[in-house]
Amino acid sequence: MAKKIVVDPIPRIEGHLRIEAKIGENNVIEDAFSSGTMWRGIEIILKGRDPRDAWAITERICGVCTTVHALASVRCVEDALGIEIPKNARIIRNLMNATQQTQDHLVHFYHLHALDWVDVVSALKADPKAASGIAQSISPWPKSSPGYFKDLQQKLVGFVESGQLGIFSNGYWGHPAYKLPPEVNLIAVAHYLEALDFQKEIVKIHTVFGGKNPHPNYLVGGMACAIDPNRNTAINIETLSMVKKIIEDTKTFIEQVYIPDLIAIAGFYKDWLYGGGLGNYLCYGDFPEKSIDDAESLLWPRGAILNNDLSTIHDVDPRDLSQVTEEVSHSWYTYSNGDDKGLHPWEGETKPEYTGPKPPFEHLDTDNKYSWLKIPRWKNNPMEVGPLARVLLAYAKGDPMITDTVNMALGKLEVGAEALFSTLGRTAARGIECLQTAGFMMHYYDQLVDNIKTGDLRTANTELWDPSRWPKEAKGFGYTEAPRGALGHWIHIKGGKIEDYQIVVPSTWNASPRDANGNVGAYESALRGTPMADPELPLEILRTVHSFDPCLACASHVFDMNGKEITKVTIA
Amino acid sequence: MKKINVIGLGNILFGDEGFGVEAVRLLEKECTDLPDSVQFIDGGTQGLNLLDYIESADIVLIFDAIIPPDFDRKVYVYADGELPGFIHRKMSSHQMGLSELLSVARLHGKAPEKIVLVGVPPRELELGSGISLEVQELLADAVGEGKKFLGSVVND
Repeated sequence: MAKKIVVDPIPRIEGHLRIEAKIGENNVIEDAFSSGTMWRGIEIILKGRDPRDAWAITERICGVCTTVHALASVRCVEDALGIEIPKNARIIRNLMNATQQTQDHLVHFYHLHALDWVDVVSALKADPKAASGIAQSISPWPKSSPGYFKDLQQKLVGFVESGQLGIFSNGYWGHPAYKLPPEVNLIAVAHYLEALDFQKEIVKIHTVFGGKNPHPNYLVGGMACAIDPNRNTAINIETLSMVKKIIEDTKTFIEQVYIPDLIAIAGFYKDWLYGGGLGNYLCYGDFPEKSIDDAESLLWPRGAILNNDLSTIHDVDPRDLSQVTEEVSHSWYTYSNGDDKGLHPWEGETKPEYTGPKPPFEHLDTDNKYSWLKIPRWKNNPMEVGPLARVLLAYAKGDPMITDTVNMALGKLEVGAEALFSTLGRTAARGIECLQTAGFMMHYYDQLVDNIKTGDLRTANTELWDPSRWPKEAKGFGYTEAPRGALGHWIHIKGGKIEDYQIVVPSTWNASPRDANGNVGAYESALRGTPMADPELPLEILRTVHSFDPCLACASHVFDMNGKEITKVTIA
Repeated sequence: MKKINVIGLGNILFGDEGFGVEAVRLLEKECTDLPDSVQFIDGGTQGLNLLDYIESADIVLIFDAIIPPDFDRKVYVYADGELPGFIHRKMSSHQMGLSELLSVARLHGKAPEKIVLVGVPPRELELGSGISLEVQELLADAVGEGKKFLGSVVND
């Protein structure tokens, strides 16, 4: 009988994603089930509230990608009410969005995902001089002397020898699926620490334009920040030059550290091309150069790709009631007219109905309902969203920057474009995209300074602020490309209040359970067919799931004095 | 004068998970005569964003719900080397905890010269606001430990 592996955060302590995988012959994953184990419920909280407050409430869905829901929310309210935002507001929103993408991708790669590829303990065996040689051969980044790596290695050794902490005790260190030589592991550990130090600088841009971070301030009609080159209390020349310095440093770090590391690491894993999955990709697009309604002006295009066919790009219209739908055949909700019937978010319902096993339990009933995530589909197709979807779409459309960077990476790795359809491809796409968004940051900084120079200091349009000037009833759609993928907010306003609000988040697309037709979601599909070196230590599952950058609701963070691992793995 | 950061950690929406935040609120209310070198910080579940608050201070006092080795109903106080640092295997970036921040600060060579953790084991971790009666009874002791420590270092 097939073995079943469960990867689950310890109930009630951490996180809210659970994977159950069936392991067949030769330890290959036969099937996988992805379950969201917590309900969000924000849609119900929003009912009856002021639409102008929705951004502040939805923004708090997530403290990691902290701006994306605010952005999608103000856009959907502005769409419903027909509000045009000033040019400065558009530019500042784009700059903040590019900042969020860049910071998020950098943190994801070094902080969350690197340990799926990098064996920290192996770094102890590295020759610091050889590590320095490798580092200097792949990048002009200055922190690369033999002494620098030797110091770090000695610190690592000191930690292990001090005995007081098991800093490295919880990894899958020494796992056969790790392929990097000790020197590359040492370089990666060095950059893991540098990136942690560095990422906190990037988000200072959010504090300049949004007043605080996390959860910077937005405003229906524009942005809640004043620009005045001559005042200390507004965005002025001094703050702008600080922003510019941060952008320049960020770009350098991505160019000289992230991208060379990515290519160096990928070079040792280019035979491990599992985890492609669905082959269906969906993007709403983002970074409008003109109005948000003008899909032609988006620097990140809108469109869909089916069955890995890059020669055909399908048009996407999230307002079309037949395109984006959600059903709940395998989700713990119920619909008035049948759980199998997909509903467009403007017609959406949020009625929770838990029918799963009573905790604590060993396995979910995966034949029936098994997740708190609904089942979003585009024209009935399960879709992957996120960096790989966006990079593939831009590549298929011939975007020059993306095409050049993808071809550079493929050339250096000596692999064909088919290698993109994999876990490694997803990880590489995130890095390529990060390089692009760091460029966007400078692009929007320049746009902002140029526009201020014309004398235009306006950041908000408040003509329609007062609800007495609103239509009695209106519907709106707001979108963004969050770091994790296409994000949509759909609102129905009635009598000045929120009648209905539906949010379809990127991780609902990617982590969705199977639908009524038996089509599996993106995680589930990506895990199928992956061979495991050791099912007791399912590094390969974590690697592929992490490559999507799962977004889970903020949970609790109890400090465990015993240093127990917080993600539980059980096998039955 | 040494820079002292008092940080309360936890999610106030998960019952006793919010102990740290609640304790720091109380402590701040009761400590009205401290110099500006002492900052009180609601750290919530900010994880990575808190690294700077740990690395930029000379002395750090943290309140958090903890899982102690023996799980007695009492206030636990740990200092410096007694605090373990771990880098965990994670499912998401939300899972950046105190242990990880400490280990990173130590690897950076920027760990504070003194660090003290005041913790209580949680009784209830259900979704909902408010702290259980049992943990409420320990709050005064926890705040007392905090005051005692601050008193001993504030003039360093």
